[in-house]
Amino acid sequence: MKASLLRWSAWAPGIESPAAWETWAKAPAPLPATGSPEAKFLPAMLRRRCTPLTRTMLTAAFGCAEPDELARLRTVFASRHGSINESIGLLENVVRREKLSPATFSHTVHNAQAGLFSIAASNRAASSSLSAQEDSWTAAWIEALCFLERDPREPVLVVIGDVPLADTFAPLVAEAAVPYAFAVQVGTAGRGPVVELELAELDSPASAPPPWPPALEFLRWWLSPEQSLEQENRSSRARWRKG
Amino acid sequence: MSRSPCRLAALGQVSALGRARADVYARLISGDSSRLTLNEQLVPERRLWLGEVHDALPEIPVSLARFACRNNQLALAAFESIAPEVNAAIARFGRARVGVVVGTSTSGVGDAEAAIAHREKTGVLAHEFHYDQLEFGGLARFVAEVSGAHGPAYTLSTACSSGARALASARSLVALGVCDAVVSGAADSLCGLTTNGFAALGAISAGVMNPCSANRDGLTLGEASALFLVTGEPGGIQLLGVGDSSEAHHMSAPDPEGRGAETAMRDALADAGLAPEQIAYLNLHGTGTPQNDSMEAAAVARVLGSDVPCSSTKPLVGHTLGAAGAIEAAFCWLLLAERHGGELALPPHVWDGVRDPALAPIHLAAKGERARAGADTFVMTNSFGFGGNNCTLVLGASDPP
Repeated sequence: MKASLLRWSAWAPGIESPAAWETWAKAPAPLPATGSPEAKFLPAMLRRRCTPLTRTMLTAAFGCAEPDELARLRTVFASRHGSINESIGLLENVVRREKLSPATFSHTVHNAQAGLFSIAASNRAASSSLSAQEDSWTAAWIEALCFLERDPREPVLVVIGDVPLADTFAPLVAEAAVPYAFAVQVGTAGRGPVVELELAELDSPASAPPPWPPALEFLRWWLSPEQSLEQENRSSRARWRKG
Repeated sequence: MSRSPCRLAALGQVSALGRARADVYARLISGDSSRLTLNEQLVPERRLWLGEVHDALPEIPVSLARFACRNNQLALAAFESIAPEVNAAIARFGRARVGVVVGTSTSGVGDAEAAIAHREKTGVLAHEFHYDQLEFGGLARFVAEVSGAHGPAYTLSTACSSGARALASARSLVALGVCDAVVSGAADSLCGLTTNGFAALGAISAGVMNPCSANRDGLTLGEASALFLVTGEPGGIQLLGVGDSSEAHHMSAPDPEGRGAETAMRDALADAGLAPEQIAYLNLHGTGTPQNDSMEAAAVARVLGSDVPCSSTKPLVGHTLGAAGAIEAAFCWLLLAERHGGELALPPHVWDGVRDPALAPIHLAAKGERARAGADTFVMTNSFGFGGNNCTLVLGASDPP
């Protein structure tokens, strides 16, 4: 499965420019555990409704496309946890038999970031939101290929991000819990630098993943001279290759 | 270029209408809304009608105990009906060639409520609670584990369009050659979060939902699961068209003119290569909220005109949110599978019959109404979700030559 990676953008606390990511990729180190962007490009009214995750993902999204593209491209939003931190408060309301905030409720759908992006960018194109536990990055790429299968003419804007889980659930999940977002424009092969993804059976036990999210490991690899990258998923191995 | 085939080769489903295919079909075409029940527990100081699943649900296997939640039990109930076909696909294509794309808006959040209630009392989460039950990706992982599929497995969650969107992506995975077969559909379960959330939004009907009526006052919630085995084979019942759009309007209210809904329906028709008059039946999103029904009727009247028979099947099973797109595709699948004698029996539009003069004129199917089923018969189903996410599917069946 070949596709083109046309443009990327990423955000983590203190690593906010392409140059900063190039520097990180040369000597990758664990990322800061706290911080979120201001997302000043959003109108104040809208920004007030944005959670840290939404600001983080929309910062990467808006950094990855020209204004006309922001309003036009189809989007795939991926997040392992989505708005679960905001849902915890609602769940506490439910068990205490308190009234829920209708605005908070409608902003905790898993596609909240996609919905707010659509409003902020006046984008009326098709959009998908997904979650696949540790495999969310590979799944996001595959979902973008699905959009390209349906219509190859325009690239797809893929945005993945997460923020650390709140204390209620954090002890239940072993992962590199850092706030981050990564966006890429994925087009059909032949439009730009080529990425090939191959899925293989997991034939040997998984090795320990690096201490940052899989999407950022992909970015590290993309910025490195390495030709290929292997990432372990729950039931398959993703083999990424350049060229 | 015509699309490659996409066969909805096998169907398993469960909803308030039941689990057994013959029962579900009979209740569907008779418009049986007697399966809804009154609940006084979920929302404080409120009685509400719900489309609860009455059937006993299978237990989650002990080896998969970390996935043990009602949402996954609903998915398992649906899966059990297609297990033979899925096993055959894995034997034929290999487990790495069989994928899973499913939708949910709730995942196991009902069980997370119980875990948090336990923490309120004892200071710790219930020990049987696992994060796999709550996270959206857990549903796809559970279906992958229970089916033995090793291909890509992910959960789409775009609120009430999740189930329709899952089928759209399953079709693409097969067309791309990433998979030879995909287990695809959705599961959504009743819980305190969604019932109280929709109550807070003022979106729940005081009685049973009454879609398209002048007296409509909101929705009735429900739960369901439907899973298909999706393959690239010709014949049988095909997923022919997909159309989707975003609203760029509001997080919990549709564009009043229904432009996003119109785009989804037009694109689904174009994708299927069909003219509006070729659609024999439309399963409406039809939630019974004032905003949805007026914008949807306007969009339907513009795209399909006022002759195509339409109905909302939500008064029979409730609005099953993330599963709605899949269970309503399942109902369309059943209609096509049971067509005979050149006729398609239609689910009637169940309501009080009081037309809203402000609603664009659309043809709401009457009790006992049948559509002509030619050699090729096509039906459409709409799903529109919070966050402004719309997805329309077109299914079709052809008589053997």
